Amino acid sequence: MKSQHGGPLAGRVGYATFARAWAKAITGTSYMPVTQAELEAFLEGLTVRLVDALFAEPFSLRRGYQIGADLVAAHIASAEGLGRTIEVIDLRLLRDLGLSGDDMRDRMARVLGTVAIGYARALRDRTLDEQESIRRAALVAREQAEHALRESEARFRHQATHDPLTDLPNRTLFTERLDAVFGRQGTAGRRLGLCFVDLDGFKMVNDTLGHHVGDLLLVSVADRLRRALGTHLVARMGGDEFVILVEDTTCTDDVLKVADAALAAITEPSIVDGHELRVGASIGIVERPVEGTSPREVMRDADITLHWAKTAGKGRWALFDSARNQRELTRYALSAAMPAALDRGEFCLDYQPLVSLTNGALLGVEALVRWRHPQLGVLRPDHFIGLAEETGLIVRLGSWVLAEACRQARRWADVSPKAPFVSVNLAVRQVREPELVDEVTALLQEHSLPPDRLQLEITESAMMSTADESVGALRSLANLGVRVAIDDFGTGYSNLAYLSKLPVCELKVAGSFVEGLRAPAADPASLTDERILATLVSLAHTLDLTVTAEGVETANQADRLRAIGCDAAQGWHFGRPSHPSDVEALL
Amino acid sequence: MRRPDWAPESIDIERPSVARMYDYYLGGSHNFAVDRAAAQALIAAIPEAPLMAQANRAFLRRTVRYLVGAGVRQFLDIGSGIPTVGNVHEIAQQAAPDARVAYVDVDPVAVAHSREILSGNDQAVVIQEDIRHPERILDHPDLRKLINFDQPVALMIVAVLHFIPDADQPAQIVKTLRGPLVPGSYLALSQASHEGRTDEEREQAIAIYERTDSPLAYRGRDEVAKFFHGFEMVEPGLVWVPEWHPDTPESVEGAERAVYIGGVGRLT
Repeated sequence: MKSQHGGPLAGRVGYATFARAWAKAITGTSYMPVTQAELEAFLEGLTVRLVDALFAEPFSLRRGYQIGADLVAAHIASAEGLGRTIEVIDLRLLRDLGLSGDDMRDRMARVLGTVAIGYARALRDRTLDEQESIRRAALVAREQAEHALRESEARFRHQATHDPLTDLPNRTLFTERLDAVFGRQGTAGRRLGLCFVDLDGFKMVNDTLGHHVGDLLLVSVADRLRRALGTHLVARMGGDEFVILVEDTTCTDDVLKVADAALAAITEPSIVDGHELRVGASIGIVERPVEGTSPREVMRDADITLHWAKTAGKGRWALFDSARNQRELTRYALSAAMPAALDRGEFCLDYQPLVSLTNGALLGVEALVRWRHPQLGVLRPDHFIGLAEETGLIVRLGSWVLAEACRQARRWADVSPKAPFVSVNLAVRQVREPELVDEVTALLQEHSLPPDRLQLEITESAMMSTADESVGALRSLANLGVRVAIDDFGTGYSNLAYLSKLPVCELKVAGSFVEGLRAPAADPASLTDERILATLVSLAHTLDLTVTAEGVETANQADRLRAIGCDAAQGWHFGRPSHPSDVEALL
Repeated sequence: MRRPDWAPESIDIERPSVARMYDYYLGGSHNFAVDRAAAQALIAAIPEAPLMAQANRAFLRRTVRYLVGAGVRQFLDIGSGIPTVGNVHEIAQQAAPDARVAYVDVDPVAVAHSREILSGNDQAVVIQEDIRHPERILDHPDLRKLINFDQPVALMIVAVLHFIPDADQPAQIVKTLRGPLVPGSYLALSQASHEGRTDEEREQAIAIYERTDSPLAYRGRDEVAKFFHGFEMVEPGLVWVPEWHPDTPESVEGAERAVYIGGVGRLT
């Protein structure tokens, strides 16, 4: 220590003693990343500077400030650190170093003041810096988290809206896009097109080559569709179904071009897992103005149309046709309503006379079923028999007709001994029913009806497609004495060989031949029909069958039929189908 | 629709973070009001809490110096928190400039802050990961780039495992992290213990940490010893952290109040 400080020289020991006391005083006030020895050495250095500051002439503020700042820089950085520092300096510095002087109290106060100022400033700066840096870190972390969240949301959204196998948009995205077309402002005048695509024979690929190959094929088809139809939205709806949205079409042709391109892309052969595969597709197409329809309607109609394409033979597109759809809807509605209608008794029978051409006598009546539909009025069989055959209701409906006809035949028989037989049409399904013979037998018994008062009509084609057991059933019925007639003869294969073996007693010749007889006899075509009819009659008679001509509308036709030896006739000329009471009036 | 596993968590700085509370105990200002409120609540219950943190931080400093002295040049510091004053890379690189340090922390703010501090230091990295996924830590490409597992590594798990409940199988975590270490590697580990504390103090501390991002799981010496399975303990074994290679005899006074027990083990 230099003598100009005004105090006695103090040895190193004094400094070390003071530094140790200082270190002890501040230990624990904040974390200092040094050993105790390092801390003491650091404080000893500061002690030297403190003494310099104490005795400096002129007094320097900066020295004290710097000591305070250096304390903070050494991480002695807390309120306690400052308080204890001032306390220990004030209490012990002069004593430990053996320092004294006249104005020592003043000097000490000024040094402590500047140390405190320097310390507080440094601590404040440090605090502000640290706050700033942690805020910045929080900001960065939040930005990163938000970025990651956005990325994951985008990924999540992609996953939610795309098919994982093909990476094509999925049903969700497609539905959104389709809805958007309808939600947009100014739909007036805008049109849209939609192709509903279904691969043909995809199941076969799956079943024979395995699902792995099937999946690869779907990926390949998806790639080709994507390439071929770039701008249009191609979505995979599931399985082997794809759908293409064609926005803002100007006419139907726009979407037909897309469909053609899609078919071409799909049918391109592709090598999948070593197999050269060629797959086709069917497409249902809808193209219409946006206004007046809805996403649901468009999808439904495209789906319906896809089935038309499938049933028309696959490998093609079909375009939605609202008239056809309307017909199918009506058919569907009728078909669905029929069972309940039968239960409610909405069906009834009209009867059309079968008249002898020899003497004009009423031989029989053909029972013709009618549906008194509550909304549509009276429906003729051609409106619903086909549907009943499709649904299988024909068996129940046919049974009802048979029973009703037998009941009616009994009533006529009660009225007159010359009552006509009733002729009832049987559908193929009915002929194949194993219970048919029992059913007829039971009806005949129930109504005490002579078997020859019942005639069963079976079409030629039905007869031909009938299995041997069914022929057996017909034979049994014939053996009972029930009349069996072949309906619409001449329209099928007219298998003559077969004809001789069947238990048939009558041929009903199709109206198309009789139609020809309306023309003047000199007409060559008319003459041909007459000759065919004559041959048929002659043939029938050879086989011991009677012949009834259907669709006779004029007296001239009747005359010519009579002339060629036809036995009986049926048609408007002889009476339209009518209510049973009208028949009763004839008796 | 359930969010998938890979969806990131959001940043919630409205919740106290144990990393920032620890910074506060050490005298730092890298903390927010919520952190200070929670830290002050703990100090009210246990006035020595800052001293405990400092003692633990000093343990970290002494172990790093010891390990550098033992020749280790690679450090994997898991649960590094806010690496401000007395962080591993400063201590290690001061003694051995070629020392490499990989920091791992789950707290995104701490990680962002670490990244700022470490910018320009190509011998230190920080990765954000939860110690509960040790295999992800070990497989992390940034870690693999810096740390060579053919050479000894000091695995630092200091003041972390008391945030991992038994249900998360901390022993299994340590075992997994030990997996790739070659002989000559070390484990330096400390954790808060309930020993040396009154029941009341323990309950209060647990209640305070329930509000933070990491609730407390105190463990006794026997349980902590199990984490060193497979390691040979360096003298003086598992002790109150002030007792581990103290700088001066006085610094051991009242060591049992330090709450943290810790030690260093060597893989042979």
